[in-house]
Amino acid sequence: MLHFKYLLWLLAGILLPQIVGSATLMSLLTQAVIYALFALGVGILLRQCGLVSFGHAAFFGSAGYIVALLMRDLEFGAGTAILLTLFALAVVAFLLGLVVSRIPGIAFGMLTLAIGQTVYLSTLQSRELLGGADGLNIAWPGSIFGLDVRLFYDPAGMFVISWVVTLAVIYLLDRLFRTRFGSITSAIRDNEERARFIGLNITLPKALVYSLSAVVSGLAGILSAIYTGFISPETLHWSVSGMALIMTIVGGVRHLWGPVLGAILFFFVKEYVGELTDYWMAMLGAVVILIVVFAPNGVSGLIAPLLERKKRVTKTVVGKQVEAGS
Amino acid sequence: MLGISIFNGLVYGSLLVICASGLAMIYGLRRVVNFAHGALYMLGAYIGYTLSIYLNFWFALVLAPLAMLVIGMLLDKAVFRPLQDRDPLSVLLVTFGLLLVFEDLVRAVWGRGNLSIDVPELLSSSVELFGNPTPLYRLAVIGLGVGSMVALWAWLRFSRTGLYVRAASTDPLTTAMMGVNTERVNALVVGIGTALAGLAGVAAGPMLSLAPSMGGDVLVDSFVVVVIGGLGSLGGALVSAILLGQVQSFGTIYLPSLSAVLPFLMMIAILIWRPSGLAGNRV
Repeated sequence: MLHFKYLLWLLAGILLPQIVGSATLMSLLTQAVIYALFALGVGILLRQCGLVSFGHAAFFGSAGYIVALLMRDLEFGAGTAILLTLFALAVVAFLLGLVVSRIPGIAFGMLTLAIGQTVYLSTLQSRELLGGADGLNIAWPGSIFGLDVRLFYDPAGMFVISWVVTLAVIYLLDRLFRTRFGSITSAIRDNEERARFIGLNITLPKALVYSLSAVVSGLAGILSAIYTGFISPETLHWSVSGMALIMTIVGGVRHLWGPVLGAILFFFVKEYVGELTDYWMAMLGAVVILIVVFAPNGVSGLIAPLLERKKRVTKTVVGKQVEAGS
Repeated sequence: MLGISIFNGLVYGSLLVICASGLAMIYGLRRVVNFAHGALYMLGAYIGYTLSIYLNFWFALVLAPLAMLVIGMLLDKAVFRPLQDRDPLSVLLVTFGLLLVFEDLVRAVWGRGNLSIDVPELLSSSVELFGNPTPLYRLAVIGLGVGSMVALWAWLRFSRTGLYVRAASTDPLTTAMMGVNTERVNALVVGIGTALAGLAGVAAGPMLSLAPSMGGDVLVDSFVVVVIGGLGSLGGALVSAILLGQVQSFGTIYLPSLSAVLPFLMMIAILIWRPSGLAGNRV
């Protein structure tokens, strides 16, 4: 049943570009899905560890830079460069996570903000290697992982690719969080002291989730860098981390598809409310406040019970039948 | 050269200590990490700008913080107090939303362009300092920083309300049981913290230009200051603001390629060495 649901969503994603006629809407959706993956990265850290990061733009932006450098200066192929980058991000974030995840909740947000701004400012100042404020143009080869590069530049093609990647990431994360590792991280999130008392190592799992969330955000950064063919320091700025966090909060993190929904809503608000008024950021701020106060589980937390009601009814019926039989 | 960079460091350090002490006070009593603090600083600067046009700079310097005091108390009543039983992360996210609202509010009222407050005539001259002509205004900013810190210290140390504030920041429950209206104390402290942000904003007006995004840098630097100093600690904020001012000033001269990053490296190093900051858990 579970796999069936994923297949259905996969099919829907592949068919969507055929239905959507408008090019602006398509490119909006493509951007939304790329940022959805980014928000998912921020979201799993909040979901599994209860940690709010204000610095994930550092992973989102630097992934593009690392791929660009690996291809330009070390002449790696695109596929190798992408895999190496993800691996490097995983290692760096894991080591960083060993240190930062020891800092309790509130100070963690400030610390990640500081780390993010460090990366942003040093990139801005590195004119020769990273192009300073102008950023870098990335020369992608003719094909990436055997796929024609033009497919990546085309909004419809990129939408399908990002959609497939996002679905795959959600599937894998869902599997992972159902294992013992998932239970351990939730236990630590809910009560760190008790988790330590029953003999769990609390730093290692947190660092692993931090690393995982960095890789997911980095993957989104790479998709964005391929789509635009360009990487600028603006992608590292803390306001970008803030945007991803807004998407995550609006969507809610209890369900893995929450941040995805949040990102799509974000881009629709930006596009359509942005047309009506210049002050869409204020609207967004108000929405964030309302959601945090009145619906802490986000939009996904609001609509999930509506979707699940039907299922619950069938389950109870089955339960009764079993009872009657026994 | 050495003297002038110490001096410049002190000027920025003074601005930071005014702003960051407000942030530290709000955290100390309300346990709120106020992401809107930079936006309040900016709002104070803009209110000061309008007042300085219709009246003059001196009225702006007094009235803008008073206006911010009222805004701060309203903020406490409307946001922090109703949310005091929620987990700190939710409140942090609410202040993040407020930041977006305030920035757009200022854009709507004052426009997107850069503005600047004129230096008052009394302070527009220069004085000879370490062999360099130095604007008198910068000297006055240091004076303002010292003055407001002394006033704040005296208020906390010698007044009855100051005693309540210190008591409530140590143990709010016991303080309330002793018959102190802690809600009123909290509202006043959030008001004063906001007023300090506004004061820093007005004081920064004639030196730095006014833009809706001006709060971002100050917010990040104030965070660095309160984290290094120890969350909620005024003494720690004072020491680390002066330290940060010096680090930035010397960094620009001697390590230009690293200057922007130095404060963050310092913060990361101190957090790893002492997770609760220089002052630890002292107030």
